[in-house]
Amino acid sequence: MVLFNDLINLESFLKFQLLKRGAESEIRLGSFADVKAIYKIRTKKDYMEEDLDIELRYSRTKKEAKILSIAYANGVNVPRIYAVYPSIGVIVMEYIYGITLKDLLINGNDESLKFSYLAGKELAKIHKSGIVHNDFTTSNIIIKEQEVYIIDFGLSEYSANIEDRAVDIHLYKRAVESTHARISSIIFNEFRKGYIDHLGSDKGEEIIKRSREIELRGRYVGERKTVWKP
Amino acid sequence: MIVLGIESTAHTFGVGIFDENRGIVGESRKNYVPNKGGILPREVAQFFSEVAGNAIKEAISKANISIDDLDGIGVALGPGMGPQLRVGASVARALSVKYNKPLIPVNHGIAHLEIARYLTKMRDPVILYVSGGNSIVTTYVDGRYRVFGETLDIALGNLLDTFAREVNLGPPYIVNGNHVVDLCADKGKFMKGFPYIVKGQDVSYSGLLTHAIRLKKQGYNLNDICYTLREIAFSSISEVTERCVAHTNKKEIILTGGVAANKLLNEKLTKMALKQGASYMPVPFKYSGDNGVMIALTALYELKYGIKIDPEKAYINQRWRIDEVDIPWYYSTI
Ligand SMILES: Nc1ncnc2c1ncn2[C@@H]1O[C@H](COP(=O)(O)OP(=O)(O)O)[C@@H](O)[C@H]1O
Ligand SMILES: Nc1ncnc2c1ncn2[C@@H]1O[C@H](COP(=O)(O)OP(=O)(O)O)[C@@H](O)[C@H]1O
Ligand SMILES: [Mg+2]
Ligand SMILES: [Mg+2]
Repeated sequence: MVLFNDLINLESFLKFQLLKRGAESEIRLGSFADVKAIYKIRTKKDYMEEDLDIELRYSRTKKEAKILSIAYANGVNVPRIYAVYPSIGVIVMEYIYGITLKDLLINGNDESLKFSYLAGKELAKIHKSGIVHNDFTTSNIIIKEQEVYIIDFGLSEYSANIEDRAVDIHLYKRAVESTHARISSIIFNEFRKGYIDHLGSDKGEEIIKRSREIELRGRYVGERKTVWKP
Repeated sequence: MIVLGIESTAHTFGVGIFDENRGIVGESRKNYVPNKGGILPREVAQFFSEVAGNAIKEAISKANISIDDLDGIGVALGPGMGPQLRVGASVARALSVKYNKPLIPVNHGIAHLEIARYLTKMRDPVILYVSGGNSIVTTYVDGRYRVFGETLDIALGNLLDTFAREVNLGPPYIVNGNHVVDLCADKGKFMKGFPYIVKGQDVSYSGLLTHAIRLKKQGYNLNDICYTLREIAFSSISEVTERCVAHTNKKEIILTGGVAANKLLNEKLTKMALKQGASYMPVPFKYSGDNGVMIALTALYELKYGIKIDPEKAYINQRWRIDEVDIPWYYSTI
């Protein structure tokens, strides 16, 4: 992994073909040392204080690259990193040519259950590497040649904490429920199996249980008005 | 059809009347205003019982109808605080039985969403619902409002109110329509180092609250702390709303709940919508906070789809989630 000290300008990257617009970035397809490469470019959020926006883009870019490389070293299926330019918010990485799990589920593919299982397996590997993803939704999972790849580590943290791990489970469950509502429980069940099979059943069950508690905490609102209590 | 709605989930006893043909025709609101320190839900419930009768009379006389003209009585059965909910529920049950009108159970959160959709005329939006007890990013998918993101701990209004109380800026928390934290922030500037916590589509505010209180104790400038607390809180909730818009590809965004009255939050969401190529509108100020009209409107939708409840079975539900409610009326218009 190369960490350039940015004499590079953003303009040249913005000429590459726009593939997708993510929640916080533009995904462009260019090349790097003669191979096809993804340029993930974090765009300015003009609704934030400038200092805050710059700080967030810088730290998320740097952290995403760092964590991607750790995950890769631990055998998690993630894109390889080619280069990072934190001060302009750009990561250059391997192009995973495939379809997101979200699109696959929307099209009702029969194999989607198998991939949900494999997504659970990859999450277990991520957690075993001492990382939590923090944005573990179906748009951040790509299927390529029967393999499941995880992308978008922009909100990830180093943690082996049960609570933090449980948030990942919670996020996946809710992503499945909210976009694929009708078959969500079957899909989630496969995921759960994949996760527990690869993390071990004691730890795995404990984390799943905690994710249920998080769900209740967030949505059950009656008890949370602390101002009302003396 | 004409429906009367009763709201009593927290600090407002509200009665509203909605007429299918004429729209909003009458309402009355009685707000419990806390004085110093914390207050007990029981005291609020006591206040509600005292004002309930008048509130109903006022709303009916403003609507220029008699109780006999009503086609149903709607009531918010949750989520909210038990003692207050019980007052609304008993009043509604009594009216329903005495005048022989169908009783219609309404989820308070759904009512905030429906009044916002009705008044902004946005039919299929991403909705940010922020109040004293809720911070939810939601949108309709497949028969229900689905929760895309929310606070993992305290709600946005609660964050502002609790901070204000801890540093003695309030109560009251709202002065001339502005939050006291806003007023204090006006002379402030941005400080570095506050925790900005976004996990996927969720936010977390408790770390921010603790950090801000600690800085105040250490003697930092309160204007700067308020400025930064507000900047981080609003930016992160705008960011998770943006994520929902990006994820669902919807082209409309609305803001509802008590905090919808906030000027800076509105500015941020306006800019965010522009960036996403979506249109944005807040619920009009008058209906951002708790009110009876939103309950009446939602009850009317429900009644048209035959949703009623036996008065004897009209139990309150303090923890009634918005994603537990079927929304068969979603595509219909009044
Ligand atoms: N390395 C990659 N290979 C192929 N597609 C990618 C890659 N990285 C991102 N994408 C595509 O771009 C979308 C957005 O990228 P992502 O990293 O999730 O950005 P954001 O943080 O803005 O959500 C993904 O859902 C995926 O479809
Ligand atoms: N202008 C404003 N700016 C920020 N917060 C506001 C403003 N006006 C009201 N609020 C907040 O809205 C909340 C009340 O919301 P509301 O929807 O009435 O009820 P509830 O407390 O039942 O959830 C309070 O936390 C209050 O501080
Ligand atoms: Mg993404
Ligand atoms: Mg991301």
